Amino acid sequence: MPKLFFKKQHQVKALIYEYLGYLETSRKHFAEAINTCLETGVCDDFDFRIRLTHKFESKADDVREKIKELMYGKALLPESRGDIMGLLEAMDKVPRLFELVLHMIKTQKLVIPNFIAPDIKELLEVSFENCELMIKQVKTLFERAKGIRFLVSTIDLNESRCDHIERGIITKIFDSDLDPFQKLQLKEMVINMGEISDQTDRVSKRVNIISMKRRV
Amino acid sequence: MLSLLGGIFLGWSLGANDASNVFGSAVAARMVKFWTAAILASVFVLLGALLEGQAGIETLKGLTPLNPEQAVVSSVAAAVTVTIMTIFSLPVSTSQAVVGAILGVALLNQNINIPGLGKVVACWIGTPVGGIILAIMIYRVLAFIYNRLNINLFQADNLLRLSLIGAGSYGAYALGANNVANVTAVFVGAGELTLFSAVLLGGLSIDIGILTFSRRVMETVGRRLVKLDPFSALVVLLAEAITVHIYTIIGVPVSTSQAVIGAVLGVGIIKGIRTVEGRTLINILVGWFFTPAIAAVIALSIYFAIQLRYVPTG
Repeated sequence: MPKLFFKKQHQVKALIYEYLGYLETSRKHFAEAINTCLETGVCDDFDFRIRLTHKFESKADDVREKIKELMYGKALLPESRGDIMGLLEAMDKVPRLFELVLHMIKTQKLVIPNFIAPDIKELLEVSFENCELMIKQVKTLFERAKGIRFLVSTIDLNESRCDHIERGIITKIFDSDLDPFQKLQLKEMVINMGEISDQTDRVSKRVNIISMKRRV
Repeated sequence: MLSLLGGIFLGWSLGANDASNVFGSAVAARMVKFWTAAILASVFVLLGALLEGQAGIETLKGLTPLNPEQAVVSSVAAAVTVTIMTIFSLPVSTSQAVVGAILGVALLNQNINIPGLGKVVACWIGTPVGGIILAIMIYRVLAFIYNRLNINLFQADNLLRLSLIGAGSYGAYALGANNVANVTAVFVGAGELTLFSAVLLGGLSIDIGILTFSRRVMETVGRRLVKLDPFSALVVLLAEAITVHIYTIIGVPVSTSQAVIGAVLGVGIIKGIRTVEGRTLINILVGWFFTPAIAAVIALSIYFAIQLRYVPTG
């Protein structure tokens, strides 16, 4: 349909893509920060990556506000406005989890022990794959309706795999000789890392519902 | 001109109240600016009145022969009935008030076109029923097509918005074509207006109502329709517009509100949900009997009042 008639919708769509771009950048900086920590074993030297992760999380927040203002300025049907805002709020929890994990490592001066490092890496790799799939799924919702269901099942499968890895890491932590206080700290960090894939799964299911609702 | 005031008031009141049935959902949902909706509604109401408004006028003027005085009485009686019932928040149909007022005068004339009246009453009952049947049919057909379109969220949104505006414009056309008879038919019957001047004056007075006083009603009444999903709101609008248009072709002015209620009920049936409260349905039934009866009594009272003469004694 001609852009002239639906200028605001096109602006909303462009902003959503901008938001997804910031989300992806924020994820990349988070990944680099964690990798620095895992590879060098030094986790208190990644302030720069934390700042970048925060910067893009914050930019995503600003874009979300712009989308909100534009939509409530009479762009889109009320039902679509609610759906898109709900979706953005759900997606926004993902970069917040990136920040939360990084701040936990920084403020609590956590050191990831070598015996769980490969598992952490695997957990995050699968979680990042889910993030990419989530972004792809959201783009699918705004580009063409088909293909959403397939992505839901892949994300769901990955989420189950993450749960399995997460439980394995926690078991390893509590089987180790680490200080009990350190065990609890690491457990909390792993749970928050696992929450990333849980949240992508929630977003994915929400996208599916939004798509299903448009069938009558 | 003064003698036409009752009709003009009726037209104004019709425009102020019934425009909400065609553009209420779009305006309340902020999909269309009020002024865009009001201008579209005004243009299409006038078009409907000018192109297809004659049939309803022929039916109403055929109910009983009226002289100019009786035309004014019935038009003022209908206007008073609509005003009183609106003040007391009672459901009111202008079509039923007008027919009731004409019947009140017809009782004095002892000349009622019974087959014509039968046709009108049958159409009143048929209005919500038509709304139900058409809503079910339209829902099935449109859903079949809509579900096969491979469109994204924005495209679906745009399609529904444009369809709602299109259906609203068609609804306004049907409103003008059908309800213009309520405004000026009695004056045509009494020989005070020609058919063309009647549809023009009727259409314009409905337009004045839309442009001056329909905003609040659109926003409040429209919110009830917005509670439906956009697709169902579109089905309701189309079912209402087609129902009213069918009765326009038959030549009987009907209530757009009752067509909407029927259509909402139809959508509820197809979705297996309760969309209309039992009280609303009872109100329609009550309206069928009370509105014409009250209008007839008011017409008779006004007629007797103007016949009173001061006769000095002694």
